[in-house]
Amino acid sequence: TAPPPEKKRWLRAYLELQRLQAPPQRRSEKPNWDYHAEIQAFSHRLQEHFALDLLKTAFVNPCYIESEEARRRQLGLDKDAVALQLQDNTGLAERGLRFARAYLAQCFEGAYPELPAKGVEALVNFLTSQELVSYVAQNLSVQDLALCRDFPAPPDVLQRTFLAVIGALLESSGPERTGIFVRDFFIPQLIGKDLFEIWEVVNPMGLLLEELTKRNISAPEPRITRQLGVSTVLPVYFVGLYCDKKILAEGPGETLLAAEEEAARVALRKLYGYTENRRPWDYSKPKQGLAAEKAISSN
Amino acid sequence: RYVRQLQRLQLLFSPTAADARGAREFVEEAAQDFARQHPDVVLYVSPHSGPGPAPMLRAEYLNGTVRDELIASKTSEEILQLATKLANQSGLDIIRIRKPFHTDNPSVQGQWHPLTNKPSILTVQGPRLQPQ
Repeated sequence: TAPPPEKKRWLRAYLELQRLQAPPQRRSEKPNWDYHAEIQAFSHRLQEHFALDLLKTAFVNPCYIESEEARRRQLGLDKDAVALQLQDNTGLAERGLRFARAYLAQCFEGAYPELPAKGVEALVNFLTSQELVSYVAQNLSVQDLALCRDFPAPPDVLQRTFLAVIGALLESSGPERTGIFVRDFFIPQLIGKDLFEIWEVVNPMGLLLEELTKRNISAPEPRITRQLGVSTVLPVYFVGLYCDKKILAEGPGETLLAAEEEAARVALRKLYGYTENRRPWDYSKPKQGLAAEKAISSN
Repeated sequence: RYVRQLQRLQLLFSPTAADARGAREFVEEAAQDFARQHPDVVLYVSPHSGPGPAPMLRAEYLNGTVRDELIASKTSEEILQLATKLANQSGLDIIRIRKPFHTDNPSVQGQWHPLTNKPSILTVQGPRLQPQ
């Protein structure tokens, strides 16, 4: 009898090519997926206790509901079966966004009291922007759990889902724990960033003059402190700003105007307390019982 | 706060193959305890009957990396040790580290440039003034 016929030699290469060329699929469509277990693991991973039904509504996006209803209508079901019993996450997302913005604004006003309202607004806008929130959400596996129409989920969907998760946490655990959560995940994104990378200031000299008049200091006088290579292609000028003959700040630049602007920016950083050598952010546990202490002290 | 980077562990093994004996013992004895001690990792146990691929432990991390580890002819304790090692890793690629040190603040007082420690043009240099 003949030996059993073997599989063809090219079969393995063909299967490998098929595997590599397959379109990317959602994790929920691949084998081994348990939605309830994944959601429980998600809440344990963030070390937070969520109300599970709130969390499940937080992951449902409106585009998913529309696509599901359209699919059911296409399959020809009755009107009752077409309507899904799911709720949107838009309400939770709105509440989460409002809380996150208010909490972050409060944090920055406490940490940098000299920073004007526009600066605080710029920082808060940067921290709740689409790219940052979707980056944080991607690295916390929100893109696997979020139910939405397109794959991979676009950044605004991820932003809405993450803010809805924050809203769900707010409803389940209260504002204190949600505040600690927002602080732990958003504020480290500011590490290594400079104030004027985030906040676009067109005229730093004018802003500096306003700040100094508020503090009753006379207008700064710019003087060249050091200069190198004046007659070359790459000159370096160090311009210092002096108020009443005392140095305020010094900044380098390629031309005299650029150096003066840089000196104004350095002076603003010093005034607002956002220098590179400021104290790092305080991530310790907030002391409980502050409200009780205030009540006792007011009596 | 600390977020465990391991998302899920998939235990793929065959209920009859000889080299999957350690995997079967792990599932019977230690898998439940492991799952209870690591509530933020989802453990999937999927036996495929009949002759199939070698028994494997597939780890998926939060940044998307998928790591496959063969567990053929390993004892239950070894598989448990392997699983805890995977649970404590992050999903970064395992490549040669170029330098064992890194700092976010390479300079405390400001990096040296050719103009530090040079007096500025504005400092007055003249004969010593007599005290009055």
